[in-house]
Amino acid sequence: MSFFKHRNNLIHAGIALTLSVINIYIIFTLDPPNLAQGVFGNIFFIHVPIAWSAFLLYFAVMVCGIFYLTNKSIKWDYRGLAFAEVGTIFMFLVLTTGPIWAKPAWGHFWPWEPRLTTSLILFLIFLGYFMLREFGGNPEQVSRYAAVLGILAFLDVPLIFFSVKFWLPKMQSHPQVGQYFSSANPMSTYLIIFSFISMIIISSLMVRFRTNILSMNHTS
Amino acid sequence: MIFHLVLKDLKIEWRSKEIITSMFIFGLSITLIFALAFQVAPNLIRTFAPGLLWVVILFTSVLGLNRLFSLEKEDQALWSWVAAPVSRGTVYIAKVISAFIFIIMSELLFIIPFFIFLNLPSNFSFISFALILFLGTGAIVSVGCLISGITLQARLRDVLIPILLFPSASPVAIAATKCTGLLFNQIPLVNYLFWLLILGSFFVIFGLFGYLVFNQIVEE
Repeated sequence: MSFFKHRNNLIHAGIALTLSVINIYIIFTLDPPNLAQGVFGNIFFIHVPIAWSAFLLYFAVMVCGIFYLTNKSIKWDYRGLAFAEVGTIFMFLVLTTGPIWAKPAWGHFWPWEPRLTTSLILFLIFLGYFMLREFGGNPEQVSRYAAVLGILAFLDVPLIFFSVKFWLPKMQSHPQVGQYFSSANPMSTYLIIFSFISMIIISSLMVRFRTNILSMNHTS
Repeated sequence: MIFHLVLKDLKIEWRSKEIITSMFIFGLSITLIFALAFQVAPNLIRTFAPGLLWVVILFTSVLGLNRLFSLEKEDQALWSWVAAPVSRGTVYIAKVISAFIFIIMSELLFIIPFFIFLNLPSNFSFISFALILFLGTGAIVSVGCLISGITLQARLRDVLIPILLFPSASPVAIAATKCTGLLFNQIPLVNYLFWLLILGSFFVIFGLFGYLVFNQIVEE
């Protein structure tokens, strides 16, 4: 665990831990904003920030892919892989919290909501990404292929989103979202932003930790 | 030079006839299975036909793409292929053109039995149908050649192509099914321009992306 021997990393981990404890405490004790959904309404404060971070992480995979293809430095490959791994964990959480919230909000576990469907498709592409990493050929080639696939996956996002959105026009994207962002009650907005910031800090810690392990395996 | 590269694929195919024949027979077999599986409700099949058609096209495309790129791996042909005195992007475009020709030809062969076996009405505009087929196939081929390129050296190549292609091509599946469904209901072309636009932009985005990154994919 040499990663945590550095002071900065330890501080990063401490901040991440503190923020997640506060975040979880708030979410469990907060009065649900929508009485009809009951306590499930509060899942919004964890589901939406996780979804934003997951898309941000996948976006980072694309950026790392572009950097890797342009300057061929192995560190961008490790970063790309670490972002993809953490992004996939976050996407998995999106795909579990989404249906839990969808059941009380819409009555179905899987309502084919555009953003959730886009998340599922991206998640599937990234499962393929890990298979490609594992079975793709020699390591140097696989790094290039994975970089290309990371860019391809994110280029697909707007196309997937718009086609799913207009595929089922009855299915509005998140009709319940508006109630969380009312100007009369800015508290919810602050909570979301707080939760999002804590997710960013947790995910960046995870990415840094993974990048560290990957580069250590390479040097040893 | 593109012409010569395409001609090479066409010549190989003319002599062996393996790609189009296998795609045609495979398409026919899936159609047969669909026709048998949907016997419980023959009138329902008209509603599902557009989706089934694109499932058949996607499945046969996987077969064709796999075979088309395997040609380059036999007898170390890969290096003479990429050693063609043109940019790698041009090599990609040539592959897209030959894959497009092969897939369109096999579609033309199995579409007639598809309509006959499933008892589908044929009172719609054939020009619009051809346009949808061309755009949809072009979109599948543009991303399909890219994915076949990345999986060229992979151990699990046969598995990786569908795993990566199906989620990536999901906007194509949605848009093409939607277009074909509207067309089968004799709705004029102007009402589904949005879906044609999705197909067109998919083709352009991944075509350009493939052209740009193909030199990274096939590299010594």
